[in-house]
Amino acid sequence: MASNLNKLIASVKKETRHLLRDREAFLLLFVMPLIFVLIISMAMRDTFREQGGVVLPVVIIDNDRDVVGPAVIEAFSSIKAFRVETAVEGNGTTEEDIKADVTAGRHKFAVIIPRGATAGANSAVQRQLRFVRGVDAAQVKVRLIADPQLRSDMRSLAAVSTGRVLQAIENRVLWERFAALAGMKITPEREKEIREILASNRPFAEVVAEDAAARAEQGDLPKPTSVQQSVPAWSLFAVFFLVIPLSVTFIKERQAGCLQRLRSMPVPVWVIMLGKAVPFFIVNQLQLILMLLAGMYIVPLLGGDRLEIGDAPVAIAMVSVAVSFAAVSYGLAVAAYCKTTEQATTFGGASIIIFGALGGIMVPKFIMPPVMQRLAVVSPMSWGLDGYLDIFVRHGSVRDILQEVAGLLVFAAAAGLIAVLRLRRTTR
Amino acid sequence: MPRMKTSVEAAIELGGLVKTYPGGASPAVAGVDLVVGRGSFFGLLGPNGAGKTTLVSMMCGLLAPDAGRVRIAGLDLAASPDEVKGRIGVVPQDLAVYPSLTPAENLEYFGSMMGLGGSRLGGRVDECLRIARLGPYAQKRAETLSGGLKRRLSLVIGLIHEPEILILDEPTVGIDPQSRLFIFDSLKAMNAAGMTIVYTSHYMEEVECLCRDIAIIDQGRIIAHGGLAEILAASGAGTVEIRAQCAPSEALLRRLGEIDGIRQVSCEGSIIRAASAQPTAAMCEMIRLMEEAGAGILSVSHGVSNLEALFISLTGRGLRE
Repeated sequence: MASNLNKLIASVKKETRHLLRDREAFLLLFVMPLIFVLIISMAMRDTFREQGGVVLPVVIIDNDRDVVGPAVIEAFSSIKAFRVETAVEGNGTTEEDIKADVTAGRHKFAVIIPRGATAGANSAVQRQLRFVRGVDAAQVKVRLIADPQLRSDMRSLAAVSTGRVLQAIENRVLWERFAALAGMKITPEREKEIREILASNRPFAEVVAEDAAARAEQGDLPKPTSVQQSVPAWSLFAVFFLVIPLSVTFIKERQAGCLQRLRSMPVPVWVIMLGKAVPFFIVNQLQLILMLLAGMYIVPLLGGDRLEIGDAPVAIAMVSVAVSFAAVSYGLAVAAYCKTTEQATTFGGASIIIFGALGGIMVPKFIMPPVMQRLAVVSPMSWGLDGYLDIFVRHGSVRDILQEVAGLLVFAAAAGLIAVLRLRRTTR
Repeated sequence: MPRMKTSVEAAIELGGLVKTYPGGASPAVAGVDLVVGRGSFFGLLGPNGAGKTTLVSMMCGLLAPDAGRVRIAGLDLAASPDEVKGRIGVVPQDLAVYPSLTPAENLEYFGSMMGLGGSRLGGRVDECLRIARLGPYAQKRAETLSGGLKRRLSLVIGLIHEPEILILDEPTVGIDPQSRLFIFDSLKAMNAAGMTIVYTSHYMEEVECLCRDIAIIDQGRIIAHGGLAEILAASGAGTVEIRAQCAPSEALLRRLGEIDGIRQVSCEGSIIRAASAQPTAAMCEMIRLMEEAGAGILSVSHGVSNLEALFISLTGRGLRE
């Protein structure tokens, strides 16, 4: 046993030397996934904000410059679903500018209040007070210009909310008229009181968009932010992507005759396999640490959210180790079955992409249809991602990730066994 | 299980070895019995696909036989694979070195895999570098070395643990004559020091020059085995070549083949070749029969064959895999 341990140490040393001597390839193992994580985290930020019930940036153009404009701005500002980033006067800003601004994604939609909107509101109230039927609401057209990429449900939310805001303004004017007709004396104190009452006259219900299917599947669990989803997801992808260099190295070793020479020596197969696996496992761990640190410290510098990693470092370590076991074992199995580096690159790469697609790496699972969510169980990346999300988003502990860790370890054991059996068979 | 005659003097004993690959129409090795003596310089020859590599792989423990047994240095390979592997050194046809490691690191790694360590490993690494004259290149990456230097490195990796038996599979492929001669000299010296050497090659002159004991394998069977002189004599390795005016008839060829002592007759256009242990007598009888048949003779030659002629005569001129 001691002799085999020495052989294992020698194998790890050899493989580490081999890895470190191709400096460019070694650096790429870290730099490429890091760039990937940063890009995806930033690119998906707004999409996740929409998903997570966060705010939609809205610009309001007040061409009315009377009562309605400020009232609309105030009303939108009070609704959690929106963030009124700028309210600009119509002067100097053309409609084309507004459209370009919205199309570029700087605002998800724009509300354009036309000239004479206040007069239109007063007119409508007057007609109602005189019991005139058929009030023409279309006399005042408040336009809503939406980002073409805005999802339809979000677009509906914007339209309904705008309608409610306008309705509230109309009600307010109507209420003031009723007060005047009732002959109430408006003292300064009464005026303040009325204003407070009017200020509280907001839409009776807040409109909150939600995805019924996703909530049904996942209960009332919180959804991740962009960085909470992207960092662990694409880190997992990078970890599994080591399947390609690992299997290619292994196959090259076999093609060069080194493996044959080793098998003519008193070296157990497990020593050969572990000798290759250990350095790649260490690389995996370094990758994961780097990606998590990038999510915590680099993404915020670029304007994204900070990655919150929960409060269970042991659980994070357990998931990271299990994920790496699964990836390395899978790489060895691919190496054992593929005859050429071309096969390993193609099969290994394609299978990782499929695992990624199924496992919620490319498309978050909570927006997948239920059938695809159930199918995700075949992907070890799904278990890894669930493990990380349990910790980061749901603030889970070691107990909460045991199932995912067990799944990953079973996958690792199965892939490792397949690799060992295959290697024994092909070299005996 | 076939009975195998064992000998304390045998380095390698193969008994009734059979190996058929999945999907193979016929066995790659079809019942081979072979004994290689201790201290022997044994040459294994065979055309492509004859079963040579399969046989060597079974000797090295790389391939499990379907039937039969392998004993190395008196040990049963199936029962004590690690002990047997510790006694043999293998130099595969491929270079089998790690290109990103230096020669010293390659030797250190493979030495560790053979169970060496500490000062003994260091001493063996230095010794192997000295044997292969790789000292000046010890710290350069193997990928930067010439083909000849890599071959020398590959050879000494097989020697790192001082094996009793060294098995080489075409170790001189793709190297210059100087490196080849260097390898020959090294092998001769090692054999003189008592090491048993198994040498497979396609180069007949190499085997003729190096090996005292030769076996020829074809279609999975040993078809000749013994010392060079012994197998040349036993196989009727004299040759006769007669150039006729025109291609001989089938009937004439048949009559030539029936001459006493002629082992094989072949014809290529108007050239008739025959193999015989007594080439002079055979030549006279062939001339007589051809004159009787009215076949004009343009030229005649005969002589004692070399290993290549014997090899061709035994395995035929047809192209193999």
